Amino acid sequence: MGRTIVITSGKGGVGKTTASANIGVALAKLGRSVVLIDADFGLRNLDLLLGLENRVVYTAIDVLTGQCRLDQALVRDKRLNKLVLLPAAQNRNKDAITPEQMRQLASALSKHYDYVLIDCPAGIEAGFRNAIAPAQEALVVTTPEIAAVRDADRVIGLLEAYRIRNSHLILNRLRPAMVAANDMMSVEDVQEILSIPLIGIVPEDEKVIVSTNKGEPLVLAESPSLAGRAFMNIARRLEGEKVEFLDLEAASGGLFSRIRRLFGAKG
Amino acid sequence: MSEAQTPSLEESVTESTEEGDEVESAEIPINGLVLEHCEGRCRFILPADLDWIDLWPQLQVYLAGQEHLWSETLPVDCVCGQRLLDQSQLQQLADALSEHQLRLDKIITERRQTAIAAATLGYSVQQRELPPLLVKEADREANAAANPLYLKTTLRSGMEIRHEASVVIVGDVNAGASVIAAGDIIVWGRLRGVAHAGAKGNLGARIMTLEMAATQLRIANFVARTPDPPKPPYPEVAYATPQGIQIAPADAWAGSLAVSEAP
Repeated sequence: MGRTIVITSGKGGVGKTTASANIGVALAKLGRSVVLIDADFGLRNLDLLLGLENRVVYTAIDVLTGQCRLDQALVRDKRLNKLVLLPAAQNRNKDAITPEQMRQLASALSKHYDYVLIDCPAGIEAGFRNAIAPAQEALVVTTPEIAAVRDADRVIGLLEAYRIRNSHLILNRLRPAMVAANDMMSVEDVQEILSIPLIGIVPEDEKVIVSTNKGEPLVLAESPSLAGRAFMNIARRLEGEKVEFLDLEAASGGLFSRIRRLFGAKG
Repeated sequence: MSEAQTPSLEESVTESTEEGDEVESAEIPINGLVLEHCEGRCRFILPADLDWIDLWPQLQVYLAGQEHLWSETLPVDCVCGQRLLDQSQLQQLADALSEHQLRLDKIITERRQTAIAAATLGYSVQQRELPPLLVKEADREANAAANPLYLKTTLRSGMEIRHEASVVIVGDVNAGASVIAAGDIIVWGRLRGVAHAGAKGNLGARIMTLEMAATQLRIANFVARTPDPPKPPYPEVAYATPQGIQIAPADAWAGSLAVSEAP
């Protein structure tokens, strides 16, 4: 049986879908079989980020209504044969599916894949409850902003209430320079409020926009950017590896630390 | 009066304002979840006003926070009142209770459908009719619940704890969460949310916490914002005076308490 993990945040726009796409691809690169389920019925995006939009034929709804078999609806990634996507229906809304049906889909898929990753829609309504229904674990994505952290706090409480107690935190879009200047919540500030274990810190990265537009997740790049490496590390930590957190301070920090790093790299 | 004796140690709360009047404060409903145990049985009272979908998370927090309080599996009488519960909800309830060493045994309801659902699942059922007598019955239940509520958990955003007596939280109360108690509120952790002590009008109620960073404090019908917490934080106590809510360091306040009891 594979692991079923929901990627959620409460607030919209903090990077759930970006994280889902990149972690899915990263796990596939590590040799694991992965199925990504887009649970955002009516506002699907995951196929776009993966560059698979034009290959979607059937959706999860078609499987549930018996229009097609489950394996027919799965879209295989042309770049990584270990990765498949179960797309959401764009012409329906969150009520088109029930938590029980989500459970059926996920349990059928977890028999054949090492990881079932569910990209949760924003909010805490029906779509959220559908997405978390089959999950045993959760990755909670937040940005270092008070509103995102507040919503993440609410979501962690709800996950606990629905008996998902294995939650990890991804802190996305961190700007180390702003943290240093005391203009942004630090990793410690966020952790103090949310008090769940941290699994990744992803720095703000303009390349995310390019990668989204192209449909090529960051981790697919030949030499991934810092954010891409951060996502890769999250996948390795999910696999149980002990990976040090990236030294974001040094990567973007002051002249001194840059020089030190330069010498360190050469020496 | 305590504030007269320790004037230098008191911090006046900024923008302390009085809102509402006696009538309003008397109307604040505090019919939260109640779990009382007595002679080897538990009685679980579900509040009438919350939808199942909102009640469910609260119920989980409530059960998880209390787990350490009993050691053997106890049978539970569940008082559902006017709430309509179907079979799947009763099953969920039974599952949730069993995770915390509680066994759903009897359903006490005023709704015929709930009674049928419960009977179908094999629980014993006590169905009550709705004559005026019942109002008194409900009152008696509410008063029986006046034991302090002790919860060992972090209250996260969106959680609300309401209780007919004092509340003790061992853990943080995060911003967006609220605690409403007829008695005192003690938070052994950081208080960042909203705390309303003496919600039925008791001006002698206090709010005590290791770090007073509350969004808002309310005691009886006083409302106040709190100043920024001291750095490094130390335990503080908030209490009501005729001028509004005051906050004092816990050690100074405890000293003054020994001399004169607040109202």
